[in-house]
Amino acid sequence: MAAPFSQTRESPMSSNPEQRPNLYALTWRLPIIFWQLIFFVGPVLFMVAMSFFLVKNYRMTEAFEFVNWSRMLTRGFFWDSYWYTIGIATLSTVCAMCIAFPAAFALAFRASESTQRWAIFLLIIPFFTSYLVRTFSWFVILSESGVVNAMLGYVGLGPYTMLNTNFGTLVGYMTLTLPLVVILQTVTMANIDKNLIEAARNLGCSPLRTIWQVIIPLSKTGLIIAAIFCFILSFGDFVAPFYLGGSQEPTLPILILDTTKSGQQWPRAAVVAIMMMVTLFAIAFTGIALAYRKGKGAK
Amino acid sequence: MKQSRTLNVILGLYVVLIFAFVFAPIIFSMIFSFNSQRFPTIPLGEFSTEWYAKVLADPDIWKAARNSLIVSCSTAVIATFLGFCTAYSDFRYNFRFKGPYLALILLPPTIPLIIMALAMLAWLSKIGMSGQLYSIIIAHSVLTAPFAMAVIRLRLNQMDPDLESAAWNLGGSEWQTMRHVIVPFCKPAIFSSLFLTAAVSFDEFAVSWFVSGLNSTLPVVVLEIVQGNIDPQVNAIGTFVFLTSMTLVVLAQLFFASRQIKGMHA
Amino acid sequence: MSKPLVVFDKVQKHFGDFVAVKELDFEIREGEFLAIMGPSGCGKTTTLRMLAGLEAPTFGEIRLNDRVMNDVAPHERDTPLVWQSLALFPFLTARENVEFGLKMRGVDKAERKERAFKWLDKMGILEFENRHISTLSGGQKQRVALARSLVMEPQILLLDEPLSALDAHLVIRMQAVLTDLQRELGITFVYVTHSQSEAFAMADRVIIMGKGEIGQIGTPKEIYRAPANQFVAEFVGRNNILAGKVKSVDGGTARITTPSGEFTVPTNEVNLVKDHNASFVISADLVHIATEEPDGGNKAYCKLISEEFVGSMVTLFLEDAQGHEFKVQMQERELSKFDLHSGDEIWLSWDTQSAHVLNES
Repeated sequence: MAAPFSQTRESPMSSNPEQRPNLYALTWRLPIIFWQLIFFVGPVLFMVAMSFFLVKNYRMTEAFEFVNWSRMLTRGFFWDSYWYTIGIATLSTVCAMCIAFPAAFALAFRASESTQRWAIFLLIIPFFTSYLVRTFSWFVILSESGVVNAMLGYVGLGPYTMLNTNFGTLVGYMTLTLPLVVILQTVTMANIDKNLIEAARNLGCSPLRTIWQVIIPLSKTGLIIAAIFCFILSFGDFVAPFYLGGSQEPTLPILILDTTKSGQQWPRAAVVAIMMMVTLFAIAFTGIALAYRKGKGAK
Repeated sequence: MKQSRTLNVILGLYVVLIFAFVFAPIIFSMIFSFNSQRFPTIPLGEFSTEWYAKVLADPDIWKAARNSLIVSCSTAVIATFLGFCTAYSDFRYNFRFKGPYLALILLPPTIPLIIMALAMLAWLSKIGMSGQLYSIIIAHSVLTAPFAMAVIRLRLNQMDPDLESAAWNLGGSEWQTMRHVIVPFCKPAIFSSLFLTAAVSFDEFAVSWFVSGLNSTLPVVVLEIVQGNIDPQVNAIGTFVFLTSMTLVVLAQLFFASRQIKGMHA
Repeated sequence: MSKPLVVFDKVQKHFGDFVAVKELDFEIREGEFLAIMGPSGCGKTTTLRMLAGLEAPTFGEIRLNDRVMNDVAPHERDTPLVWQSLALFPFLTARENVEFGLKMRGVDKAERKERAFKWLDKMGILEFENRHISTLSGGQKQRVALARSLVMEPQILLLDEPLSALDAHLVIRMQAVLTDLQRELGITFVYVTHSQSEAFAMADRVIIMGKGEIGQIGTPKEIYRAPANQFVAEFVGRNNILAGKVKSVDGGTARITTPSGEFTVPTNEVNLVKDHNASFVISADLVHIATEEPDGGNKAYCKLISEEFVGSMVTLFLEDAQGHEFKVQMQERELSKFDLHSGDEIWLSWDTQSAHVLNES
């Protein structure tokens, strides 16, 4: 995905980075700088500043106090929520990676190229359907008297409670992340040099060993990136834990939602948001560092 | 790799299962939208269009649909413009701080929407721009510009690097060359980008919900309905939104495909 | 001799630490067909791009009609270029491509159309005027590219390996088209190529470049018969190069001792000094073969290694007792008189005047 960026062609008359850009160059370079400074960097920095503001009588006043930070970070409920969110997002990532792998493996190695293309196209479709509507659909399907329990009833099982449980939340997360993870895993594995696998098999590697010792090391970077994306999506989603998990244990996004929408406690929401961003960046950077580290297995 | 038939069949079934899981909510939502039951289960109730009738009779939903249309069209134009400028700058120039420059446009999608929503809400309130339709447009442009940039940058990669110089060589100034060479060359990607960003914007609910104030878009209406109770109207709206988005995506794909065919000949 | 149209005055081009062009000092005459030839990476394309304004010289001056061009933007010059990649606009038809430059220059629609028609017709592709570029064959695209540049009616046309993508038989046809055009229009062509046959077949003068420097400027014949130095001799190929020490100098000739024997060469204008190193070349087609040892003169006894046929011409590859390689080029029917096989030994000889002493550089 990111491959084509930044391979800039050395252009005539402007190949020298020190050269002063002319009006033409600036016309194309500046819009995004202004726009993103005002509407992307601005909001993020303001959110950081806001975490030090005070709220008095439901009104926010600009200040530089650590009261929101100390309030949030000393409360048990914040840390409960923090670790729960990390835990369930991790669980979601592990599930998605494991569930997706056999499918991606099949698509990458056993399917024809056109099947592969069609599969990827089909997997892109969910991105353009409303995630809310899909969640609502699960809500109906998984309910006590919903489709799943009705079918299980025919074979004499159930009814099971699936909504308002971690299972419900995970189903929601899978709805959100599984298509992306399958796509990323498939693309990564399809790019492996088939000769290497052939070579491993010829040298007497069993299929399982080939997967562990050849395919996974070779697709390490792509797999880690898929995992990072999956984690980011699960970590930041409020719909699945709210509607399918019943938000009995609120995740951080739900905490932000509640804090913002009720009582105008924006500064405290900002504290939660910043904690989330710091956590995400830490995890993403660690993951990327791992992904691009020269492993022992792969050269 | 040696093909073992049973294993292949199992793997094939597994793939089908995954697709079933991915498409189950979409398909059930469509089925439910034509089902008379308020709380659908198996066996299904009778065929009914009452939810559609209800949706169509609701002036709030009409207003939301109109808002969604305005937001997604405006977002598409702004995001595509920003994406084009950035893609071209990246293609043509090398300059200091290019890394941070590209990060500036590519970073927003990696930040959870709920955080972007909070940050946008706070900032736009601060500068007195919240609660309006244009607030959503601004926020969505930030979120979708990277997609526009990616689509157009990929197209520029397919361009013969001599093409631009050739136009200068024939007496075209940089501006004329932009108008007569770069833009026509990128036209398919520009359309792809317009449809793609419109589709993304049309479905986004978290940020819209936070910054929209009273000007709800369709997804926000869905969110509000879902919060209340079980109401199959959501399925009807969902089906409508799905069809709209898919039309946009298919259009984007068509432009993408046609440019690839042309690319092959070139 | 006509007056210079373009002057390169001590031109250098650096890309960061890399010196693409060391120092160029030459003139392009009005109305000539000049080829710039050299191996890839020798700076020939950079030279052409500087002339078109697509690269700015780091040092030195380029003058066109006595006007210093260094700071003139590419679109303000009148130096159309025919690109190696052709760089035709894929979203336009053949005619729209040809009209492009006129449109940029603000020529009105009717005149544009008329001039485009004239050139499409001249290039023999009028019937394809409304076809999209992607539907044209390689040769047709080539003609569109030429028409697109020539419609500007320039004083000078730049060509950057324009034939490199064509099939061999088309190359020969296009060579004829290009030389005819150049004669007819009387404008200056500057033709960059790595192909010796293209350069020698078309150009009035050839510049041989290597490693960012000019090796030699001259007519094809001068370069072929009298290469100025070892680089040119080796690049031109088809030469036998012998290196040794000067034994004696006697008026117009000198004796040079090489591992392969002692030879007499004309000194030409080269200053040969006794006991100094010297080398000389003999064109492969000026070497004779004989089964009997010739009396006196320059000769070498060689073993035949292999033969290579190109049409009716044969190149023999031989080796003497010291392992030095010799090449002989001759007509096939002439060779057939000898009934030679690989491994046969044979005498080579050449006239003293056929040898050419190189300037050691």
